Amino acid sequence: MQSSKNAVERRQRFDQYVGVYHQDMYRYAAWLSRDKAIAEDVVQEALLRAWKSLDALREDSSAKQWLLTIVRRENARYFERKRLEAVDIDNLTASQAALLAEQPNEELDDMRQAIYELDDDYREPLVLQVLMGYSTNEIAEQMGLKQGAVLTRLHRARAKLKEQMARQ
Amino acid sequence: MNCEDYRQAIAADPSFDGGAGHLSECAACQTYRNEMIILDQTINRALLLDVPELHVPELPELSTSRPDNVIALRKRSWLPQSSPAWIAIAATVVVAALLSIRLIGTGIEYDSLADEILAHVDHEPFALRVTDETVSDERLAAAVPANVAQLGRSTGLITYAQSCVINGHQVPHLVIQGERGPVTILLMPEEMINAAQQFTGENVNGVILPVGNGSIAILGESEERLDRIKEQVLKSVTWST
Repeated sequence: MQSSKNAVERRQRFDQYVGVYHQDMYRYAAWLSRDKAIAEDVVQEALLRAWKSLDALREDSSAKQWLLTIVRRENARYFERKRLEAVDIDNLTASQAALLAEQPNEELDDMRQAIYELDDDYREPLVLQVLMGYSTNEIAEQMGLKQGAVLTRLHRARAKLKEQMARQ
Repeated sequence: MNCEDYRQAIAADPSFDGGAGHLSECAACQTYRNEMIILDQTINRALLLDVPELHVPELPELSTSRPDNVIALRKRSWLPQSSPAWIAIAATVVVAALLSIRLIGTGIEYDSLADEILAHVDHEPFALRVTDETVSDERLAAAVPANVAQLGRSTGLITYAQSCVINGHQVPHLVIQGERGPVTILLMPEEMINAAQQFTGENVNGVILPVGNGSIAILGESEERLDRIKEQVLKSVTWST
């Protein structure tokens, strides 16, 4: 009786996190993998892993960072399994191209393309800061970097985007 | 603060609110700041992809069954073969009582030490970061108390250190950086085993090594070569008791 009550509570807790953070998980996965179909796979795997590991999460306030860490690891696992080659911007698959064809807005299309072309090292901290609201300290922790390295990458990422947008 | 410093700071974080003195006197940096704020708004809108409808995968029942791809270890034997029957009965009662307490606490029972180790590592994904930042001496000392074990310098780059519960005992849980990724090390001075035990899990391989009256578990990615790590860990760990 007690165990079935625990199971229900566990499921409710899981559903609550998923409801709140699913969009963040998907967008983070999409910008890490630069592919919408892969992002969906990565999120599915991450949800399964989160479900199995839910008891390890002690504080609700850490849920977002915990889930995004799982997404990051699942993305790395996915690419390790598939041994995907680097993306060639001129030969995108339909699912990769879908990422760049979101809304019919020329300025946003250009920006999305510029972000897409950023190196992973620059794109990821930018996504964590702008989209996920992480501080540079939190980004450093998530990516295993020193804070100075994060500041440099963010500065360079914006400089590249600014330059790219000026060219359009 | 000069223009270059200010621009680097604002480009790294457009919400940067330092350098007010410089900003009030420098029109060029005010313009730059406004440009960065507008750029960031565009970045934010571009990053906000449409999210497809959520499909939660089928979630497995969290039971005691072992995954198919995990090799079972032999059950641990706590009693010598020649023990009198009454000792065995008494020990069974004690073990049953302890197990009941553990089950009330966690709700999960494991078939083997290896299973518990795999589950534990899976429960702490944040421990497995690829990083070159070592834990502080204070953190390490708290995770590996001097009355439990002494660590030599050859352990490797320790990037995570925590005191965790395995099989009802508080044990040091360390992570070092291997060739293929983070490698987990669990120092278990109270888990005595007779011989080294290999085990595998999802994308991982591991070994539990007998060391004195205890054992040490080492667990890395599937392709991680654990031999070199085993050697350096065995060289560097000494039980205190």
